[in-house]
Amino acid sequence: MGDLNAYITLLNYIPYILEGAKWSLVLTFGGLGIGFIIGLPVGVASVYGGRYTRLLLNIYIWIFRSTPLIVLLFLFYWGIFPTIGYKVSPLVTSILVLGLRSGAYQTEIFRGCIESIDEGQILAAYAIGMSSIQTFTNILIPQVLRISIPGWSNEYAGLLKDTAICFILGIQEVLTRAKIISMAIGIALLPYFIAGAILMILSYLGIKVLDIFYRRWSVPGLIKEI
Amino acid sequence: MNRDIILRAVDLHKRYGDVVALDGVSISVRKRETKVIIGPNGSGKTTLLKCLNMLIKPDKGRIWLGDEEITNPKINIYKVREKIGFVFQEFNLFHHLTVLKNVMIGLLKVKKMERDLAYEKAVNALSIVGIDRSLYDKYPAQLSSGQKQRVAIARALAMDPIIMLYDEPTSALDPQFANEVLQVIKDLAVKGVTSIIVTHHIDFALEVADEILVMYRGRVVESGAPKNLLSSPKYSITKNILMSGIALSNGLNHGFLE
Amino acid sequence: MDFWSSFITNLLEGIVNTLKILSISIPFSIALGFLLGFIKLYSNRILALLAEAITALFRGLPAIVTLMIIFFGLADFKIYLSPFWAATLGFILCGSSYISEYVKGAIRSIDVGQSEAAKALGMNKMQEQLYIILPQTIRRALPGVSNEITYMIQYSSLSFIVGVKDIFSVAITFNSLYFYSIEIFICVALIYLLLIAIANIIFRVIEIKLRYPK
Repeated sequence: MGDLNAYITLLNYIPYILEGAKWSLVLTFGGLGIGFIIGLPVGVASVYGGRYTRLLLNIYIWIFRSTPLIVLLFLFYWGIFPTIGYKVSPLVTSILVLGLRSGAYQTEIFRGCIESIDEGQILAAYAIGMSSIQTFTNILIPQVLRISIPGWSNEYAGLLKDTAICFILGIQEVLTRAKIISMAIGIALLPYFIAGAILMILSYLGIKVLDIFYRRWSVPGLIKEI
Repeated sequence: MNRDIILRAVDLHKRYGDVVALDGVSISVRKRETKVIIGPNGSGKTTLLKCLNMLIKPDKGRIWLGDEEITNPKINIYKVREKIGFVFQEFNLFHHLTVLKNVMIGLLKVKKMERDLAYEKAVNALSIVGIDRSLYDKYPAQLSSGQKQRVAIARALAMDPIIMLYDEPTSALDPQFANEVLQVIKDLAVKGVTSIIVTHHIDFALEVADEILVMYRGRVVESGAPKNLLSSPKYSITKNILMSGIALSNGLNHGFLE
Repeated sequence: MDFWSSFITNLLEGIVNTLKILSISIPFSIALGFLLGFIKLYSNRILALLAEAITALFRGLPAIVTLMIIFFGLADFKIYLSPFWAATLGFILCGSSYISEYVKGAIRSIDVGQSEAAKALGMNKMQEQLYIILPQTIRRALPGVSNEITYMIQYSSLSFIVGVKDIFSVAITFNSLYFYSIEIFICVALIYLLLIAIANIIFRVIEIKLRYPK
């Protein structure tokens, strides 16, 4: 089971692993951010766009939702970026790929939320003379953003877990650090579990925070509880 | 004529938090009797009925089916329920089974009957309620509400219960189907099936009941044979309910059944 | 082309290994997931809580961490699982945990009247679950299960971490030997896309077959 020394050393290096959480969060929020910038417009376009637009977008969604993350990471890092001629750091590659993937998932979230908005809302907006754009910004988006928080919560949790996969590109996040420690001191269970636990805690905290926002911004009657 | 008491409940109490659903209700039914329970919504009628087959456990009070005390925790309540036929307001036909399977499943899995015998009994029950063979392979979603409820009655009947409990059998029906279901229930009662029926149809109650019980706020406030209640109701609530029912049917100028 | 013939041969071996893992993990995940879902809703407090705790753990941990804990972590305790079984076990634990939540949701969505009608006929808890609840749960949980299977196929790409010669490990090996990076990873991506597409078609067919006629 490994000698006691190993465990004591581990205790000393827990802060080291914890520091990796910073990078896990950078990856997560970077990915979520890019995903949001992609996801909301694409989500809207996939509902209101023309036939060919929707087809193209669906292909994008399909590719980035169905290809394993790790394959995408390597594809971009070893394949696409060198071919284009750019030398992109592992960190940027990871954030980009996570972002593209999150964009595909967030598109689905927003699409579902947009479609669930009562058509009557839009008709009423037109009836008082709002233009499409005004309806969009003043009526549609505020409601969509509120309704989408639960789904977004899921996306946050999922993305946070996926950041662990980025260890394969050598980014100094929690799993990489746990692995380094594990190889150094000779025990594996606890270091990896600690990495996992850190992610779980971050996940839980994030969901709680989002939940608070959800309640704060919630308007009675907006959300039809299932 | 000393007929056996099939079902007897004494001093039933049930509350949900602050709400008192049953406040000391007693009822007893003899063989071949038909009792009808009427009363406004929220008077505890459904709670009472669901207590009688222990779908709801009363807080206080005892219930006997024949000689067995079914409120005794040691009793095998599943065997007891086999003998009580229950028809729900919302039919509750099993969505994933055809009409025939719905009626047969209790026989096959609970009574552990042989398939051939179960089939016979099912067909028999379905013909009593007037469901044609052509509907046997249909799923509940494909039936009208009247057909659904009749199948539900057949499902309960096929188990050869010693008493039938009907919980507002027509309340969830489209109005044009109420009659076909009430007719089936009346026919069964006339044939001698011991029944307790909770209903809003006052004229049906007057026509079919051996005794009517009026419930209000968790209590039986009055009970008696139809003609006695009509001629001398003790409480205004009884009068109101009965009068509203009769006024309705007078307006229509005939009884509820063609 | 020396690269291609060698690549494809090895890829086929990788595909077979991946399929071997999936062909065990998927059925067991579904079975265990259903069992856990029912336990969470129908058994006594202690078992239900235990089931909730275990599934919460494996839903909270990233799949890759779970795999590494099983393969490398258990070695601390002198338990040495083969790469194949470590990966399979890891996927079963993760997959069943997610599926149990879908099953729980599906059971909850069945109206309570179905349960009451079953009881009214004299069915006991076992009979009620087996003959009335389970058939309806299967239909309702199908979209969720299908979704989870898609994830399992994707995350099967992680089994190379514990040493399985799967599709992705072949890709990495060849990537380090040749300069065909884009070709390699696009090929691999397409394979996964194909596997997922096949799985989706299968589930669609199952869903159509299980539909009640309206």
